[in-house]
Amino acid sequence: MSTRPGEAEPLPGTLIYRGAEADITLGTWQGLGAVFKSRKPLRYRLPALDDSIRRQRTVREAEMIEQAKRAGIRAPFLYAMDLPRATLVMEYVRGDRLRDLVGSLRTDEAEDAFERFGRSAARMHTAGIMHGDLTTANVLMKGKDLFFIDFGLSARTDRLEDHAVDLRLIKETLVGAHPGVAQAALDSLFRGYASEAGTQRFRSVLRQLKSIERRGRYARVE
Amino acid sequence: MKRFVLGVESTAHTFSVSIVSSEGEILSNSKSVYKAPEGSGIHPFEASQSHIASAPAVLAAAVETSKVPLGEISAVAYAMGPGLGPCLRVGGVVARTLAAKLEVPLVPVNHAVGHIELGCLLTGMKDPVVLLVSGGHTMIISHSGGRWRVLGESLDLTLGQLLDQLGRHHGLASPCGRAIEEAAMGGGYRRLPYAVKGNDVSFSGLLTASKTMLDGGTSFKDVSYSVQETAFAMVAEVTERALAFTGKREVMIVGGVAANRRLSEMMTVMAGRHSAAMASSPLEYSGDCGAQIAWTGWLAYSSGSWIPVQDAKVRQSWRLDVVDTPWRS
Repeated sequence: MSTRPGEAEPLPGTLIYRGAEADITLGTWQGLGAVFKSRKPLRYRLPALDDSIRRQRTVREAEMIEQAKRAGIRAPFLYAMDLPRATLVMEYVRGDRLRDLVGSLRTDEAEDAFERFGRSAARMHTAGIMHGDLTTANVLMKGKDLFFIDFGLSARTDRLEDHAVDLRLIKETLVGAHPGVAQAALDSLFRGYASEAGTQRFRSVLRQLKSIERRGRYARVE
Repeated sequence: MKRFVLGVESTAHTFSVSIVSSEGEILSNSKSVYKAPEGSGIHPFEASQSHIASAPAVLAAAVETSKVPLGEISAVAYAMGPGLGPCLRVGGVVARTLAAKLEVPLVPVNHAVGHIELGCLLTGMKDPVVLLVSGGHTMIISHSGGRWRVLGESLDLTLGQLLDQLGRHHGLASPCGRAIEEAAMGGGYRRLPYAVKGNDVSFSGLLTASKTMLDGGTSFKDVSYSVQETAFAMVAEVTERALAFTGKREVMIVGGVAANRRLSEMMTVMAGRHSAAMASSPLEYSGDCGAQIAWTGWLAYSSGSWIPVQDAKVRQSWRLDVVDTPWRS
C-alpha cells in the first residue's frame, strides 16, 4: 500500500496542540523557531476523499495567508509547504488563543480586542477575502495585537453572503461558547467592523447575516 | 419517594406516550408511527389525523404497561415544540386534558432538549458534545451557561431530510435512513460535494448532485454509499471541531439518524483521536418517543418549571438554545 500524505514520518519537534484537523508541533526550520502544522489523515473519512480535502486545504491555507498579509492582516509568516505530508511550516507566534483569554480579559481589554477583531474581519472582506473559520480559537492574541490563523477554509470572494457567513460563525461561536460575554463582544466587534468597512456596507452584511439566521431550523430572528 | 411523570410526544410522524419514574426507569414507551405513502413525505394534516386516531390506544397501552395507577402520576409533560403545528396540537390536547383531569402540573418540554437529556440518561454521559441528527435537526450542541448551546448546524437541510429526499427520489417512503444504510453496504464511492463552512454544514448541493447521479444511471447502491460517506464525514468533522474547541471528553449521538451504524463507527474513530468517549442513544430510544418528553418533563418539574393549562400552547419554532436548564446547574 502506498503511503498517504501526512502519514510518512513523525513531525519534527514536540506536539503542542491537537486541533480538529491538524497536529501542531513546535520545532526549528533553518535555524528559526517554527510551527509545523500537519493535516493528519482522518481515518473516519474515505482515503480518496480525505486526501483530496487535506491537500486542497493545505494549498488553500498557504495561498490565503499570503493574500491576507498583503491586505494588512497579521498572520504568521509562511516558511515552507510540504504537500506530500499536507504540512505547512510557519512562524511561531507566541500568543494565546482568544478563546482561552476571553474569560480573563478586563472589560476594556475585551472591548479593545473585539473591536480589533471586527476591524480585521472587515479589512479581509474589503480585500475580497472570506476567512471561513473565524472562531475565537483561530485568533491569537499577542499583547494587543491579533494574529489570524487557520486559513484552510478561506476563499476569494466579494459576495455579501460569504462575508455574512464569516460574521455568523463568529456570532455562533460567541453565543455558543462564551455566552456570558457574547453580547458585549459582538457589540464591540460590530463597531470595529463598521468603522473599517463603512456603515453602509456593515448594514448590508448585518442584514444578510439576519437572513442566514432566519434560514436556520426553528430560528426566531428579531 | 418515587414519583412518576407521563410524557406525550407528537412533534412529527410519531405519537408516543411514556411513563418514567423519578429514578430514571422507563416504565412504558408506547408509540404509533404515521407512515407516509411511498415516494412522499409527511403531510402534517394527515399525520395529525393519524395521531388523533391512535392516541386513545397508545395512551391506554402506556398506562397499562407501566402498571402505574393514573392517580399516582405527579405531572404530565408534553412536547411543546419544535415541530409540525397540527401534530403538536394533538399532543397538546391530550396532555392538557390529562393534566386537568388528574389535577397535576403540566410541564412543557422542548423536543430537542428531550432527545439530549434522554440520551444522557441512557448512555450515562454527563457533559457531552452532542450530535443531534434527525429529520428535524442537524446540530452540534454542548452545555454552557445554563443552556444547551448550538456550536454548529446545517445551514439548509437536516441529515434526515437529505436521506429521506434521496430515498423518495428513488421511490421509497419516508423515513428512508434504514433503506439507504442497507443499500450502501458494498457500494462504491463516487465523488460528491463536501460542504463544510466553518462549524456548519450544507447538504443542499449534495442532495442535488446525488439525485442527478441517480438519474444519470449510477446505482442506488453506489449513490447511497457515497452520500453516507460524504455527509457523515461532514458532520463528524464539524463535531470534531466542536470537541477540540470545547475540550470536552464525551461525544453522544442522538436523534433518528443515531441508529445508523456507519455514522456511529465514524464518530467513534473521530472521538478516539481525542481520547473522548463516544456513545449513541440506544436504537429503541434514538428516534422520537414519549420517554424523551417524560424524562425531561421530570427534570423540569423537579426544578420547579410547569405552566397553567391556559398557557399550554404549541411552538412550531422553538430552538433549544433559548431553553433554561435549571436541573443542570
